[in-house]
Amino acid sequence: MSLRRTMLYLPGNNPNMLLRGHLFRPDGLILDLEDAVAPSEKDAARILVRDVLCRGEFGGCEVTVRINGMDTELWREDVAAVVPAGATGLRVPKVENPRDIRLLDEYLGEVESHAGIAEGRTAIFCLLETALGIWRAYDIATASPRVAALIPGGEDLTADLRTNRSADGTELATIRSLLVVAARAAGVDALDTVYPRVADDEGLRREVAFIKQLGFDGKSVIHPNQIPIVHDIFTPTEAEVEKAKRIVAAARDAAARGLGAVQVDGRMVDKPVVRRAEFTLSRAGLSGEVM
Amino acid sequence: MKTASAGTVESMDCIVTASEADPGSGVTVQIAGASAARFGSAMRAAVLSVVSKMGITDVTLSVQDNGALDLVLQARTEAALERLKGGDVA
Amino acid sequence: MSINAVGRHLPDAIPGYGPVKPFQGAAARVPEGHRDGGRLRAVYGGKDKVLPDLKAAIAASGLQSGMTISFHHHLRNGDHVINAVVDACAEMGLRDLVLFPTALFGVHKKLIPHIKSGVIRRIMGSVNGPIGQLVSEGGMEDPVVLRSHGGRPRAVTSGDVHIDVAFVGAPTADRYGNISGVGSRSACGSLGYAHTDAMYADCVVAVTDNLQPYPISRISIPQHYVDFVVAVESIGDPAGIVSGSTQITRDPLRLLISRYASQLIEASPCFKNGISFQTGAGGIPLAVTAFLKDAMKRRNVKGSFGLGGITGYFVDLLREGYVERLLDVQSFDLEAVKSIAENPDHIEISADWYANPWNSGAAVNALDVVILGATELDRDFNANVNTEADGALLHGTGGHQDTAAGAGLTIIAQPLLRGRIPCVVDAVYSVTTPGEVVDALVTEFGVTLNPRRTDLVEACREAKTVPLVPMEELVDRAKKLTGPMDPVVTEERIVGVIEWRDGTVLDVVRQLTPRK
Repeated sequence: MSLRRTMLYLPGNNPNMLLRGHLFRPDGLILDLEDAVAPSEKDAARILVRDVLCRGEFGGCEVTVRINGMDTELWREDVAAVVPAGATGLRVPKVENPRDIRLLDEYLGEVESHAGIAEGRTAIFCLLETALGIWRAYDIATASPRVAALIPGGEDLTADLRTNRSADGTELATIRSLLVVAARAAGVDALDTVYPRVADDEGLRREVAFIKQLGFDGKSVIHPNQIPIVHDIFTPTEAEVEKAKRIVAAARDAAARGLGAVQVDGRMVDKPVVRRAEFTLSRAGLSGEVM
Repeated sequence: MKTASAGTVESMDCIVTASEADPGSGVTVQIAGASAARFGSAMRAAVLSVVSKMGITDVTLSVQDNGALDLVLQARTEAALERLKGGDVA
Repeated sequence: MSINAVGRHLPDAIPGYGPVKPFQGAAARVPEGHRDGGRLRAVYGGKDKVLPDLKAAIAASGLQSGMTISFHHHLRNGDHVINAVVDACAEMGLRDLVLFPTALFGVHKKLIPHIKSGVIRRIMGSVNGPIGQLVSEGGMEDPVVLRSHGGRPRAVTSGDVHIDVAFVGAPTADRYGNISGVGSRSACGSLGYAHTDAMYADCVVAVTDNLQPYPISRISIPQHYVDFVVAVESIGDPAGIVSGSTQITRDPLRLLISRYASQLIEASPCFKNGISFQTGAGGIPLAVTAFLKDAMKRRNVKGSFGLGGITGYFVDLLREGYVERLLDVQSFDLEAVKSIAENPDHIEISADWYANPWNSGAAVNALDVVILGATELDRDFNANVNTEADGALLHGTGGHQDTAAGAGLTIIAQPLLRGRIPCVVDAVYSVTTPGEVVDALVTEFGVTLNPRRTDLVEACREAKTVPLVPMEELVDRAKKLTGPMDPVVTEERIVGVIEWRDGTVLDVVRQLTPRK
């Protein structure tokens, strides 16, 4: 499974960023047709994003598109343009009803089969930007096997909660935990909202450490300068990597010798610990090394 | 005369302006800006390929370039021509 | 006709320039003979060299039509001196002057009428902006001669260029001709580029807007080189002379490139105690310095000196102990000006000291790392900094050749694309710096090493932190992104001669054919 530590938003009508975004080496890209594009430019942005997708030069990044909301006239045209062009994921704004996800799933099936793409290839990333969306998070995440991740909203969500975003994110703490629970229960990723203060590196660092501890798999980023900071925090330390390597090696050794129990550094290690160690290695980009 | 344009003045973008032309007058392309000196031929070819793919025979196009690659030139040309066709007059 | 060591076809002689000595290699030419010098003079008695105005000084200097006048560029885009002196010369009926500035700036476009009317016949030095465009289109009688910051003092000390009168803009001067770069509203800090001219010219005129009683302190150029002093209302606009505080860029592309460049330096053998570097004032070089500082802190490495054009950022490195000394040929901002006036470890050096290849050893020779830019680089790592993509001669050589030749690690760092214009091509339009002294190109796609530097290739592979991209791959990628380029269309006539720092010719620039 690919890493989603960072997914970088790229404004859909900005050729400079669309063409260069991958150079900053985020794990994923979000070509944005929604909030980053003025209503009068939706048509031009859709053509541009389609052509950038067709060109297909994104380094190793997972490429997704944020389509316009399913409460607009635009989303079907967005999907019809970007899926055949090569988007492997769609980020859907303001999801609050599992029915919308089933509708999108169905439409995606049509678009995929029409374009000769393997059915089910296109993943869905759900942005939960209202209290209702958060409340139904699990139902939304399980509405289609295409759902790959849940992402809480930032500004819209806090407005819906009748509060605003503070520096320490008190108002989002419970929301974030709820979202992690729903995502884990549904077996999808939990990806965090953006950190809007792009010049505040220390603030970003604190927030990423916090959401990592909550269990998030990664964070949406709105500025390339945020990428190295998020990766730095999500990258395991050398000590963590060494320990994980020993655990995975011991587990393999035990399996080869037909033993059930695994012992590392004189302590018994159970299955969840082995799984976590494997996960640590994959985050360190080392999943192949002990295989 | 109906005209429509698409694009921005940002770096690596361009503004393409399409104007209706009389039947039989053919396709005219004017290119000005950052890369015109060294990439004029390639830029002209890129713009013309979109015009012919859309089956348009009579149109006047003017490109104000700020470093756009072919892909961007083509996307902006298509958008401008679609807007001209759709009556979305700029 | 001959072919030089970078494969350029050169005529045996160029009208208005003379015989051509083809470039033979970065360290191939060995000089013979003795240094040139200014006219001998004796001053018996006298306590005052002040003359009432510029015209009086021009008259006293003995300046005649056809002679060579020199200027420094420490007042940069704020300079009033060059325009005022040439205006005065024109009013006095002088013609056919050879202008020999250490550099020209946009503010000097006011010289264009004097070029057109024949007051100035020739420029030996960088041309840019409107003057560069004029020269490129054939608007000047004789070709301009482009020399590096080290090549220029070499030309002066060796006698290739003889200065008849040097006009030295002086932020502070006393009545007997001592000159300082600090102490007034026009302060520019170091006067490094003016030293050699003051020592070798037949006559030296100090032009100041801060005339002080004898003697001043912190003297850059002492009285025994200076013949006359003129006080004027203003030698320059302070806002154009120095910039305010220098900020590290937040531009993500520049930061990405800077991070790669700093990773390269950290992986290289020169990253150890005693490291010295020059990074100038550009966005990328300054950000590299910031990343480098982090690396020095993290790995507990202490540097020895920072060289060249000095910014407030370098002043901080000195103050915080990351380097022991600053060797300053040019102070870029207010912090640097303040520091050079106060801190004995912040040392003013002349251009001769800084970069001249023909002395007993220039400061660039001790340099470990330099970060430079270029408009183009080719497969052989030859760099072009003089001409733009459209073939126009728009930039001076600066210290590019000298620092590249001197430094142990010469890095060119910049985006692969400026708009649609690629920075790597099959063959550069003009060669400013030969590939034999360029070690690495850093772009947003990673680090491209000169294969000649097997030690760096090895070090980077070992470090595993530096993304390497071979030159072939980079050129192909650029071509694929930008498509085929139309050729630059030129006339046969040569409008610019690019000299290597030793006076041999690297390349020529031809007159542009007007586009339809």
